[in-house]
Amino acid sequence: MASVTLKHIKKTYDNKVTVVHDFNLEIKDKEFVVFVGPSGCGKSTTLRMVAGLEDITGGELYIGDRLVNDVEPKDRDIAMVFQNYALYPHITVYENMAFPLRLRKIGSEEIHRRVCEAAEILGITEYLGRKPKALSGGQRQRVAIGRAIVRDPAVFLMDEPLSNLDAKLRNQMRAEIILLRKRVDTTFIYVTHDQTEAMTLGDRIVIMKDGWIQQCGTPQEVFDTPSNLFVAGFIGSPQMNFLKAELTADYSGSYHVSVLGVDIPLNPDQNSALYAKETPSQAITLGVRPEHTTVLFEANGDPAAIPCTVRVNEMMGSELHLHLVSCNDDNIIVRVPTIGLTPAQREQLVDGATLYITFPAKVMHLFDPESGKNLIFGDAPAE
Amino acid sequence: MSEYEIRDSIGTAKGLDASEQPAGGGEVFRHSKKRHETRTNTALHVVLAVICVVWLVPFVFLVCQSFRSFQTESGGMVDYVWPREGLSMDNYKALFIKGFNAKNYTITNMNDEAVKQAAIEKFNGDFTRDFTQGFVPWWLGSLGIAAVTALVITGAIVLLKREADRSDAVAGRRWLILFVILQAVFIPFLLVVSGIRSAEFTGTQGILKVFLSMFLFIGFGAVAGHVYLKQDARLLREIPGYPQESAWAWVKRAAVLFLELTALLLVLLCYIRPNDNSQYITWYGNTLTIALFVSVIQTVIVLSVSYTLSRIRFKGRKLLMNVVLVLGMFPGFLTMVVLYFILRDLGLTQSGAVPGLILIYCASSGMGYYISKGFFDTIPKSLDESARIDGATRFQVFLKIIMPLAKPIVIYTILMAFMAPWGDYVFASYVAFGSPDNFNVAVGLYRWVNVNDYQGYFTLFCAGGVLVALPITALFLALQKYYVEGVTGGAVKG
Repeated sequence: MASVTLKHIKKTYDNKVTVVHDFNLEIKDKEFVVFVGPSGCGKSTTLRMVAGLEDITGGELYIGDRLVNDVEPKDRDIAMVFQNYALYPHITVYENMAFPLRLRKIGSEEIHRRVCEAAEILGITEYLGRKPKALSGGQRQRVAIGRAIVRDPAVFLMDEPLSNLDAKLRNQMRAEIILLRKRVDTTFIYVTHDQTEAMTLGDRIVIMKDGWIQQCGTPQEVFDTPSNLFVAGFIGSPQMNFLKAELTADYSGSYHVSVLGVDIPLNPDQNSALYAKETPSQAITLGVRPEHTTVLFEANGDPAAIPCTVRVNEMMGSELHLHLVSCNDDNIIVRVPTIGLTPAQREQLVDGATLYITFPAKVMHLFDPESGKNLIFGDAPAE
Repeated sequence: MSEYEIRDSIGTAKGLDASEQPAGGGEVFRHSKKRHETRTNTALHVVLAVICVVWLVPFVFLVCQSFRSFQTESGGMVDYVWPREGLSMDNYKALFIKGFNAKNYTITNMNDEAVKQAAIEKFNGDFTRDFTQGFVPWWLGSLGIAAVTALVITGAIVLLKREADRSDAVAGRRWLILFVILQAVFIPFLLVVSGIRSAEFTGTQGILKVFLSMFLFIGFGAVAGHVYLKQDARLLREIPGYPQESAWAWVKRAAVLFLELTALLLVLLCYIRPNDNSQYITWYGNTLTIALFVSVIQTVIVLSVSYTLSRIRFKGRKLLMNVVLVLGMFPGFLTMVVLYFILRDLGLTQSGAVPGLILIYCASSGMGYYISKGFFDTIPKSLDESARIDGATRFQVFLKIIMPLAKPIVIYTILMAFMAPWGDYVFASYVAFGSPDNFNVAVGLYRWVNVNDYQGYFTLFCAGGVLVALPITALFLALQKYYVEGVTGGAVKG
């Protein structure tokens, strides 16, 4: 129940390695913010700085209105769930959950009430008497979450809490965290390297790479308008397809993209955005999401149809993931819903078969191949 | 129809094939009981073997020593003694007549004619007195020792059996070890407290006495134990279900008990007598005081240092560790002379030896942080972090989270910190030099056999040595399980 403000936060280790550069973010009260990025991007370090486990080299950190740069973790009114649970192995689940309350000298009746309540929420009431050793991974993670929520903290920090669980349990716990969030209703900062978790959980997503924020926005924004190549490739599964293309502006000020021998005129919106930025004609990297690509079995004289060869055919049940190879040896992945396919069509989708793909101008993302910036939306600075 | 036949007929009535039936009927039942019997017998043998080994050394020595005694003209026994300057053979004969209490006459005035006369007068014509100078004859005393032993052994066996009935072999073994220790410690304790000296175990009668004690000591215990065993084995074999006891068993048990209690009384009368100036208890107390203080202080220091070096990153940490490592390469004895002068100036030598020694042993204890730091390094750091976020201070983390998890290393540190001063001779001998009230056990025992009368104190020396082993053994027995126990399981994924 507090906002968190990070102003120009910087982290440099003793050996002069800077792992977080100039991190600026304002997290509103009761907001669920997810830090996401590949390993070593500084997301966990940032979280640990918020927790007070790492010293802040530069910048200011506010929780609520209080500057907490030099405040001990115990005085920051935060709770944290660790990737490896960090349960105290020598005491029971009940005592684990009561531990933070006991340190705050809360009466034992109140402790009992709160622990039971939290256990009820998480469905671990029957394990309260056990030691952490006797619990499964999912149960341990619940206890770890329980230990955090009994505190009723101002900020709730989670450091890859689901990474140690198996895939099925992870999906289940993810849904439970969404429910939990509705019940606890406080500020959450969640760190993960899994973009699915980030998309499903977060009100806002902060995508990081090499210590820099790449983009910060709602899941929809990040998905629709990735600010650079990295974000575009990181968000979405399967990954966005990247193709070499040419952007040309004609004399009338309208832009075209030529890719794999076809020429696609851009939308008026895109046109005006590019025009406003005075974008010259140049080589670009064209990004198209697999789900925005249509597969045609026959070209049917469509000028925008690009011929491809099927290389791998992945059956996912509700859809097919087709790995295609274009004439330029680009790898293209497309998703084909199985429900619309006739048996005859399905038989056509064998390895080595030739298909045509097509996509409209509005689903295209245009990136500068040098800087990686999105030519239309790319305002956030990339490194 | 006997019990076996009934069981046989039950088996047949149930339609079991004859080949499936245990041969001889009830064999399965009997078999399991036999195994139980074997186990207890083995336990008994272990008890006896250990006692034999513990006792054989001093006894053999005493027997050998006895041959070096000789008889006086008047028929009394005279000990062989080391020749000392200025003493004639006559003086020896006069002064080392059996039963002579040398403590009342110091070596220095042995040339004194008056003392010599007094000694001769005192013991002349008294050669028929009993060796032990107790209130009961020596053989009765020996019998008493043996009987007390029997009591202890029997007790051990009863407990062993009870544990075995619960098929808890581990607990049984624990009791066994406990009673072996009791056995080994009880008699030395009596010897030390009473100040019995080996002069009383000399001559031909001395040999007899030693052997008789030994045999009775072991034999009576074995017999008593055997009675119990036989009886229990029989009961268990013959009566299926809950073991009931026959009247005869009760009679035997009562008889053994009566004998044992009588023997205990006798041994008390025989061996325990007031002894004015044995300082053993004082020395033991000194050693215990030093060791306890050192083990507490040193443990606190070592654990704090290790935790700090393991968890907190501060400037100069690496440097500190390296410096300590290099300093640790110099042997501690290098500081001996300096330490003595420092302690002397502080008034912590001789009469202040106990606090002085505590100071010495605790002084550089922080340097022994290596092992416990290694252990702390294996405890996940996220536990510390989690506790700190939960609201614990560094000290609370150390006390409430790390200490319970580091139990094995805490125990190890305590044991090591206890053992070093407990067995130390070098430092203790020069810090407390010349002040017997402030000796520790090692120095005191050495003084018994070296400065005092070598023969006269040898039994005391042996007995005292056994008692020194007592606290260490007890500590190890009580704490050994922590060496093997992995307590960090479940802390992190795994």
